[in-house]
Amino acid sequence: MARIIVITSGKGGVGKTTTTANLGMALAKRRRKVVVVDADFGLRNLDLLLGLENRVVYTAVEVLAGQCRLEQALVKDKRFNNLALLPAAQNRTKEAVTPDQMKQLVNALARVYEYILIDCPAGIEMGFQNAIAAAKEAVIVTTPEISAVRDADRVIGLLEANNVKQIQLLINRIKPAMVQANDMMSVADVQEILAVKLLGVIPDDEKVIVSTNKGEPLVLSETPSQAGTAFDNVVRRLEGEPVPFMDLTVRDEGLLSRLRRILSNRA
Amino acid sequence: MTSDTSSISTPSDPPEASSTSSEPPMDLSLPSSSPSEPTSDARPNLIDIPENLQVRLKPEGDKLLLILPPDAEQTKSPIGFSWNEVWQQFKQQLSARERFWQPNSAVYLMVGDRLLDNRQLQAIADELSDLQLQLRWVYTSRRQTAVVAATAGYSVEQQTAAAPIAKPTTAAPSMEEPLYVQMTLRSGTEIRHNGTVVVLGDLNPGSSVIAAGDILVWGRLRGVAHAGCKGDSRCLILALQLEPTQIRIADFVARAPETPPAHYHPEVAYVSPKRTIRIARASDFQRPEWENQA
Ligand SMILES: Nc1ncnc2c1ncn2[C@@H]1O[C@H](COP(=O)(O)OP(=O)(O)OP(=O)(O)O)[C@@H](O)[C@H]1O
Ligand SMILES: [Mg+2]
Repeated sequence: MARIIVITSGKGGVGKTTTTANLGMALAKRRRKVVVVDADFGLRNLDLLLGLENRVVYTAVEVLAGQCRLEQALVKDKRFNNLALLPAAQNRTKEAVTPDQMKQLVNALARVYEYILIDCPAGIEMGFQNAIAAAKEAVIVTTPEISAVRDADRVIGLLEANNVKQIQLLINRIKPAMVQANDMMSVADVQEILAVKLLGVIPDDEKVIVSTNKGEPLVLSETPSQAGTAFDNVVRRLEGEPVPFMDLTVRDEGLLSRLRRILSNRA
Repeated sequence: MTSDTSSISTPSDPPEASSTSSEPPMDLSLPSSSPSEPTSDARPNLIDIPENLQVRLKPEGDKLLLILPPDAEQTKSPIGFSWNEVWQQFKQQLSARERFWQPNSAVYLMVGDRLLDNRQLQAIADELSDLQLQLRWVYTSRRQTAVVAATAGYSVEQQTAAAPIAKPTTAAPSMEEPLYVQMTLRSGTEIRHNGTVVVLGDLNPGSSVIAAGDILVWGRLRGVAHAGCKGDSRCLILALQLEPTQIRIADFVARAPETPPAHYHPEVAYVSPKRTIRIARASDFQRPEWENQA
């Protein structure tokens, strides 16, 4: 049975689209049949992050209007042909589709794909309702900020009320140094409020921005990065592998390196 | 089975928390203003809880009344709700209170002058039947809705628009049976009840409970709690862990100290005879002697 997962947050700009692109790509690397669905009508980004913008011809709206077949709207990834994108219309608003239509689309996709990742728009209005309509699972993305956590809490409540009961948490943009200085909420602080299962912790990493601009999700990069590895780990956990959480504490130096630092400071 | 009137909603504007100067940790009171000068802007308004403010599920004997609030578009009143909001409230009510009715209860749907189309009615019926509840009767003041409901095979009673739809029984008593909710109230969830509220779960920041009676939280109280919202300052707020954004009792308000204590104990918040909100450890708490006052 296909796993239908919505990536959502409440608050905007916390990394939903980045997460969707990386998880989609990492699953594709593992030879899963994946389709990522951009549910952010009017503000679509997912095609950009995947580097597929110039290949978008039709969108979900044309499919629903009967102007093309679902298959025609799907953009196949050039790197992995087992990854596809269902683009959102850029020229329409969130009201252009209904939750029922969204369900139809996703259920059709579920017959072919193993994973359906839905990139949810920010907010809790129509666009959110559409994005969660067909979902069986949710990944809540939050940053360790009080406002993002508050919105995440609200969204979890709404998901629960809409019978999306399998909810996991992804904490994005952690800055270990700030956490240690007590200037940022820690993973434990966030978990304490939200009380849902932790799926992963992604450090704040400049390479994310570089990869966004290149249209190439970090998990594809040859040179390993902390954030890329963290996304890979998330996917392994999604697939049921027990993967220990990365140690993100600021270098808790061993005796040797501490000595070396002290000595070099002397020099 | 108890009969009660209560509602859970997700309001768009949470009440604004008023702030005060910092106080010693155990006294959470505002700078006191004597009752004769109701000028302080920090004093909350007393709140009445109208019958049809939110979606409500009200067990009555062996049936269950499902009462929908008015429509935002038809009523010019700001308390109207869109279908989407009504739907959210309805689902939340169902999940929080699942254990409170017998299976196979007949549901009486009171829609007042809200227009319901076939799909909406079907959605409600489907959701109810998932919980072994059966939609039987639809009470409406709109001909259109009556036709829709009758066509779908439900018993219909069309009432005149003037009839108080939400009051099928006698007038609501001044205080209703306690409302027991078993859920964690997440941000954006609000419970209003014309009586005492018992929460088995946490009140997360951004949630609120507004009760005409006491508020008991078997869990962490981190949101806003307003007990005695109709003016009874003898009401109490009790929590295993009291770290509220703000608490209010009648028209008194207090907020948590700036620096949270290292340990939490079960605590009780009450209005002292000095007319400030005080907090006592549950184990030490004794109800203050009240001179007769309104
Ligand atoms: N771990 C990270 N480290 C550094 N930058 C990040 C990280 N995650 C996301 N970003 C940056 O944050 C910005 C917002 O990310 P993204 O577009 O994925 O958020 P979103 O939740 O989809 O936003 P919206 O609500 O507008 O759809 C982007 O510029 C992205 O590069
Ligand atoms: Mg986005």
